[in-house]
Amino acid sequence: MTDSTSRSRTIMVVGGGISGITAAVEAAEAGHDVVLIEKTPTLGGRVAQMNRYFPKLCHPTCGLEINYQRIKKSKRIKLFTMSTVEAVKGGSHGYTVTVKTAPRHVKPNCTACGDCGQAATSEVANPFNYNLDKVKAAYLPHTMAFPMRYVVDPSVVGTDEGRAIAAACKVGAVDLDEQEKSFDIEVGAIVWATGWRPYPAQNLTAYRWADLPNVVTNVEMERLASPDGPTKGRIVRPSDGAVPKRVALIQCAGSRDLNHLPYCSRICCLASMKHAAYVREQIADATVDVYYIDLRAHDKLESFIHRIQRDPQVRFIKSKPSRIEPGAGDNPMVCGENTLTRDIYAEPYDLVVLATGMQPSTAEGKMPSFDGDVDDYGFIFSDGEAISAGVASGPLDVSMSVQSATAAALKAIRAVTVAR
Amino acid sequence: MTHASPTPTKKYDLNFARWVYENVDGGDRMALCMQCGTCSGSCPVGQQMDYGPRKLFMMIRAGLKEEVLKSNTLWNCVSCYNCVVRCPRKVPVTYILHDLATVAVREGYAEAKESDNSRFAKAFWWSAAKYGRTDERLVTALYYFSFGMGEGYKRGMANMPIAMGMVKTKRMHLGMPHKCKNTGELKKILAKAAEIEARSHAGGAGNANPAGGTAGHDK
Ligand SMILES: Cc1cc2nc3c(=O)[nH]c(=O)nc-3n(C[C@H](O)[C@H](O)[C@H](O)COP(=O)(O)OP(=O)(O)OC[C@H]3O[C@@H](n4cnc5c(N)ncnc54)[C@H](O)[C@@H]3O)c2cc1C
Ligand code: SF4
Ligand code: SF4
Repeated sequence: MTDSTSRSRTIMVVGGGISGITAAVEAAEAGHDVVLIEKTPTLGGRVAQMNRYFPKLCHPTCGLEINYQRIKKSKRIKLFTMSTVEAVKGGSHGYTVTVKTAPRHVKPNCTACGDCGQAATSEVANPFNYNLDKVKAAYLPHTMAFPMRYVVDPSVVGTDEGRAIAAACKVGAVDLDEQEKSFDIEVGAIVWATGWRPYPAQNLTAYRWADLPNVVTNVEMERLASPDGPTKGRIVRPSDGAVPKRVALIQCAGSRDLNHLPYCSRICCLASMKHAAYVREQIADATVDVYYIDLRAHDKLESFIHRIQRDPQVRFIKSKPSRIEPGAGDNPMVCGENTLTRDIYAEPYDLVVLATGMQPSTAEGKMPSFDGDVDDYGFIFSDGEAISAGVASGPLDVSMSVQSATAAALKAIRAVTVAR
Repeated sequence: MTHASPTPTKKYDLNFARWVYENVDGGDRMALCMQCGTCSGSCPVGQQMDYGPRKLFMMIRAGLKEEVLKSNTLWNCVSCYNCVVRCPRKVPVTYILHDLATVAVREGYAEAKESDNSRFAKAFWWSAAKYGRTDERLVTALYYFSFGMGEGYKRGMANMPIAMGMVKTKRMHLGMPHKCKNTGELKKILAKAAEIEARSHAGGAGNANPAGGTAGHDK
């Protein structure tokens, strides 16, 4: 094989969720240099924010830890966290990518001892827990963070608190002078693995997530159920910390809806089965009502739904609730029509969980221009020069994401090795 | 009568549904209804309807033409548009109910003609078409007396205190009915609209109804 052009053989992967990690590891283990770009301070993406994940309901460490080991062993993967792609130039002969890195203010010699966190006094938003709580201004993103390194929030730079944080570090890893950096990298192929964000629940005005405290979303439910979450894994009502006895799960909250996401997000029916299981395992006398249009279990996961259906304390109500109203004692009232009995209901619950769907991250902010097309919803087509993996390409679960990431790695390898 | 919608002869005959999809305002989108129940659950007067919109749409699909066109659902919709803004398939439920009401009138269903709301709608339309405005006194009188002389008198007297109160607070006046500026133009517009409507209702049903049949329109 002769490569007549000077196309770089380096593969860039944008997004360090399960898909990006997989694509990076696969390409590196096949002998290619990989640059992995991740926006947040840690790899793992949304999977790291799950309590457990189907099909086997394992803890996210299951899938992530082994991949972290593979990344550590590989000499070919260069990881840039807190980084995004600013611009992409070039075409079929390769790309020049401008990467922008935000300051972490903590150098690689950090031992994650936590002394800086002890010294911090102010608190900042905690997107890892979907802002259900706050973190200290010097923090470890989460217990499974990779790299296992603290972050100092820019808000304390130039303050006494910042200086105290820096002084507390015994190995001198805190660097308050670090600035935002921008640099160019030559690569031969780019894999977009930018994943998803939960569809904004505040858009579903009739469900009143924004003003009723005991209406939460399914991603918030994952955090409430997680041992490393804001409640240490206890499922409780946000309003008063009480253990909920009556829980409602509302399917298709924003999905299959021409006013919101027109497509089926594909994973939320099964995610809700998981949530019914979380509640029933933790709270013996709790009942769970699942409101649905259709129950859609993809692939071979129908049996999971059947398992939950056998539980007499889980009811299934064929109805898309029309609205949620405030009820006595902060109990949200779920209202609508039961389409099998035609009864109009108004049922009070202790806790209501909205099964919001997955919207591509690319719908949120503009992607830097590249030789690829996005569909009407912002999912990236994987054809031509553009290579997409995981939920960046469509609503997929973890195992389907991993398959698509492996396929994406192969496409990228082909793009940088086949002479043209 | 060419404008009549087809009358299904067997259970789950799709002819009526197809006719509705093609001829009723918003019917093409009704074809996309996924029976989620949002509309019926959102309806403030759903409890006063024979069937909520969702069930009515299922009945259309099942070919239950008579039950659909006789139902009070078509007349009890108050045009609040709750269902329309919430429907995940963007089905214009309100338009469909209103247009089905006109189908029921056109096809001569007694239930349609005699319902409270159709009597009121008729009185309202009479005033709006004649003056370009609604005159509270004439609309109410026409509506009340549509139930007969005795009943009209009784209802009128019962509401006299309200009328007097409205006059006192200048919410109702006693002289000639107010008119819009150019009733001649208004008449022309309405005549043109009637012409367009007549054109769109002639023939369409014939195509969608190879079997013919107009049972139910003499009732
Ligand atoms: C409530 C819920 C429960 C779920 N439960 C399960 C389950 O039990 N089992 C299962 O198989 N699936 C489950 N899923 C689906 C699962 O979350 C996805 O399949 C998985 O997250 C896909 O991984 P990904 O890497 O494609 O995307 P993500 O996990 O979203 O990762 C994308 C990564 O890219 C980064 N990124 C985004 N934009 C940029 C950018 N511009 N530059 C650099 N980096 C960027 C992000 O920070 C993130 O780290 C669930 C989904 C939901 C909504
Ligand atoms: S997976 Fe289920 S809840 Fe999610 S959009 Fe599809 S049908 Fe609705
Ligand atoms: S809300 Fe729309 S899709 Fe749902 S039942 Fe009503 S018309 Fe059908």
